[in-house]
Amino acid sequence: MSLNFLSPVYLFGLLGIAVPVLIHLLTRRQQKTIRFSAVHLLRQSQKRSVRRSAPNRLLLLLVRCLGVALLSLALASPIFSRDAGDDLIGAGPRAVAFVLDDSYSMSWKAGERTVFPHAVDTLLREVAALPAGSAYSIVLASSPARILLDWTGETAQAGRLLKTASPSHRSTRINEALEKAVALLEAAPLKNRHLRLLSDMDKNGWTGEPFSKTMDRIPARVKLIDFSGLRTGTNLVALAGVEVRQEFLTHSRVVRVNARVANLTANEPLNRLRIELWLGEKKQTEGFIDVPPGGEAEKTFSFPLEGSDPIDGRVTLADDSLAADNTRYFTFQPDRNIRVLVVDGDPKTVAHQSETFYLENALNPFSVALSNIEPTVSTLSELANRNLFDYSVVLICNVREFPVGYELELEKFVMQGGALFISLGDQVAAKYYNERLGNLLPVTLNALQQSGPGDKPFRLKVVGNEHPVLAIFKPKEIEEMEDIRFRSLYTVLPREGAAMETALSFQNKIPAVIESTIGRGKVLLYVTSIDRDWNDFPIQPTFLPWVQRWIKYSARSLESLLRQDLTVGAPFSWSEDRSWVRTAGGRLHPMRPGNEGFTFEDTNAPGVYRLYRMASDEDAQRLEAQAAKRPLIELPANAKPRGAFTVNVDLKESAPGRMHPEDLKERFPGFSFQWTTPQENERGLQAQGFPLATPLLLLMAGFLLFEGWMVRRE
Amino acid sequence: MPENTQSPYSPEVLARIASLKIRALNLVEGLLSGQHRSRHKGSSVEFAEYKDYTPGDEIRHIDWKVVGKTDKYHVKQFEQSTNLKATILLDASGSMGYLSPESGGRPAKMDYAKTLVASLACLLLRQFDAVGLTAFNDHVVNHIPPRSKASHLQHILHGLATLEPEGITRLGTVIGNMVERLPGRGLLILVSDLLSPHDDELKRNLKLLCSRGLEVILFHILDPDELTLPFDGDIVFESLEDDPPVGLDPEDIREEYQKLLQGQIETWKRDMPGQGVDYVFLETTTPLEQGLSYYLLKRNSLIK
Repeated sequence: MSLNFLSPVYLFGLLGIAVPVLIHLLTRRQQKTIRFSAVHLLRQSQKRSVRRSAPNRLLLLLVRCLGVALLSLALASPIFSRDAGDDLIGAGPRAVAFVLDDSYSMSWKAGERTVFPHAVDTLLREVAALPAGSAYSIVLASSPARILLDWTGETAQAGRLLKTASPSHRSTRINEALEKAVALLEAAPLKNRHLRLLSDMDKNGWTGEPFSKTMDRIPARVKLIDFSGLRTGTNLVALAGVEVRQEFLTHSRVVRVNARVANLTANEPLNRLRIELWLGEKKQTEGFIDVPPGGEAEKTFSFPLEGSDPIDGRVTLADDSLAADNTRYFTFQPDRNIRVLVVDGDPKTVAHQSETFYLENALNPFSVALSNIEPTVSTLSELANRNLFDYSVVLICNVREFPVGYELELEKFVMQGGALFISLGDQVAAKYYNERLGNLLPVTLNALQQSGPGDKPFRLKVVGNEHPVLAIFKPKEIEEMEDIRFRSLYTVLPREGAAMETALSFQNKIPAVIESTIGRGKVLLYVTSIDRDWNDFPIQPTFLPWVQRWIKYSARSLESLLRQDLTVGAPFSWSEDRSWVRTAGGRLHPMRPGNEGFTFEDTNAPGVYRLYRMASDEDAQRLEAQAAKRPLIELPANAKPRGAFTVNVDLKESAPGRMHPEDLKERFPGFSFQWTTPQENERGLQAQGFPLATPLLLLMAGFLLFEGWMVRRE
Repeated sequence: MPENTQSPYSPEVLARIASLKIRALNLVEGLLSGQHRSRHKGSSVEFAEYKDYTPGDEIRHIDWKVVGKTDKYHVKQFEQSTNLKATILLDASGSMGYLSPESGGRPAKMDYAKTLVASLACLLLRQFDAVGLTAFNDHVVNHIPPRSKASHLQHILHGLATLEPEGITRLGTVIGNMVERLPGRGLLILVSDLLSPHDDELKRNLKLLCSRGLEVILFHILDPDELTLPFDGDIVFESLEDDPPVGLDPEDIREEYQKLLQGQIETWKRDMPGQGVDYVFLETTTPLEQGLSYYLLKRNSLIK
């Protein structure tokens, strides 16, 4: 027989027995001795008397000491076990690798609690029931699987690590977890090796190919403890996605939040499901939505945009059994005012004949307040009066050639972070461009291509283009864009060694927009005219958002929209150094150098994450030194916000469906899983060990009642 | 008899005798001195009646004046003033040595009893009665046979002064053993705290004594502490005799104890008169005059 403790640290509580003893000693009356004549009468009276306070006080002391001792013992979670041994895997010391599923599907309701604490309790009882001399390790099975506890023989360590643990917001990766567990088992300190998997057997976790290879290396039978039976209720709905966009063609600044709601049940229509929009901690609006069985429905919320502060929000659904997938976060950065210098290379006295007529109207259809783009049109002769550094973007439209030396100013402007958008036209001198703008353009203008009246016009190829500028266009709009006829354009040839990217091309693969990064700035070359001379694009409805988004993109104001939908655990990459991320919990973390610039990997909780750039290296170093000492929350005043991204749960985890014994047999033929439920496992464990915490607590309660009764009686 | 290391006439003993005597005499003085009268006629100074002379009568008792007047021989008869034989039995067991830890000037139980005994002895000797003293615990520790000489008081006082309370009480046994040795008629005065668990035997023996014509007066002496148990706190009570110590809070048992003791006293009060025993209950706070007065009153009532 043996008695093990899951949390032996609480045994220090036994020292608390000193408290009632001290109280007893301090309150004890001094004992006197008196020589007395009628002692036999005293004895007789004592026998007859009901009141006996002196022995009662001793009894009281005993009861209080026992009460403290029992509480301490109960907190230490004792497991009483007989030496009968393990009916399942044989007696004797063993090495057991536990794989604990901590994906968010484990936060499924199970009565008053969720499934996860049940799994933790089972794991702790398993650990406590291990024979003396055993070792165990714990692997967490959410993506990415990781080792929580390497081999140890100390039973209390699991309790310390898991007592306050909660399921992550990640999805399951059983294969990765098994891989890690197998690696652990191969390095196990004991020969008698076992693997136990505690999971809700959510189907999502059992995908992926490396499984079969892993299974071959498992040295012992795997015991699966399936907690799905503990689930109560049904996971009815999940928020499949939230999109945020700002309306351009309205008289007021309106933001639309479009939420997609998926009905996860196969045949249960959901009617009047409540859906709420929260901005920050304030509920903006709520509504109801009907979702067909197994289908999706959309709900759009609109609200006026006030100011230009970033908007953090979330859409939530009425609670069901799995709350984790009922909330989806979004963030939106209202456009900032972008000052744009438009250089018209072909001005005309009749306004609509000017090169920049359509462009100017597209950039600022109503007023600056609505489009956030503030264009300033300038002719070549006026350029001398303009300071380039007053603008974020300079648009060069059909300019023949710049004043002497002006190209150097443009280079300086771009190197320091400015954006240059160059559109061509009949005025352009290709020779000048090729010879003088070599540092700005990664290509040379090769030849002017024109399609005659009988020829097939050039058309854009937009379908399949994933450039962020084109991300907002719907299929119908893309179709419209692909229908636009381009009559003339310049073909280009790349310069040797120049880095560039074709952001948009024509269907005959001729590049339409060429993008290059120079220094901290961007240069975009649009190979056709921005007015109607060479194409019909300016009179198409899609021209306005198209051109606005190119301007915003080049001015980097689109960056905040780029990474809307990271899943929990996915790393966030960014190109700039000195970048820090403020997590959803409010803490600041530096981004670390990674494969693609800088990376932030601690995206463990869903929410809105904000990106900041420190003003200087000194600031960044000072902040890192501070962060090493304590959690950092306060941001230096001169840190510049660079955008935000949201982290949401991976919806694959909330998809209905779970693995059954038959599925496993089919999937892993010839491999024997021992499939059990927590209840069956508990019975098996009780054959080996019986948890004494509850009886001890009950006993303590009994003692307390008795103590109260005695005190009252006295 | 326990060994008495003190010299019979050591200064301490003498001092005790003196103080006892003073106390006893002070008490006796002022009290009415009564006489013991006998129903038997005999030689005395007090005339009782005449009777016809019969041969055998002493000639010196013939009243010659009556002979001269009546020419008949009449013999004077006188009230016989007999000497009473009184035996005082004093309980000298350990329990009699109880001295209250907070006595507040009141006498120890044994001192009170000794003074009572001395006073009674003094009183009796003044009346020319014979007084003896027997001290005992579980056996007789000191026996002074009854004498009526005035100087006998000194012996009694010395016996009292050298007496130390010790040993266990066996009242019933001791009196049972003494029954045969006690005079057939006379006075038996028993002074004890009666704190003995075996009082049935005592009662039986007292009854036997009464039936033999002895007049028995039982002085029951207790300290107020023994009546009220006025102590507080956790106390270990060690016995003055041979009971094992007991630790308790007196508050817990006070009521029960008082009830028990009062019950015993009530039993004595109720049972003793029925058996012909005069029962006098005295607390050590009760003035001794009260006890002595009771005794005298009792004697007088018996004579009349």
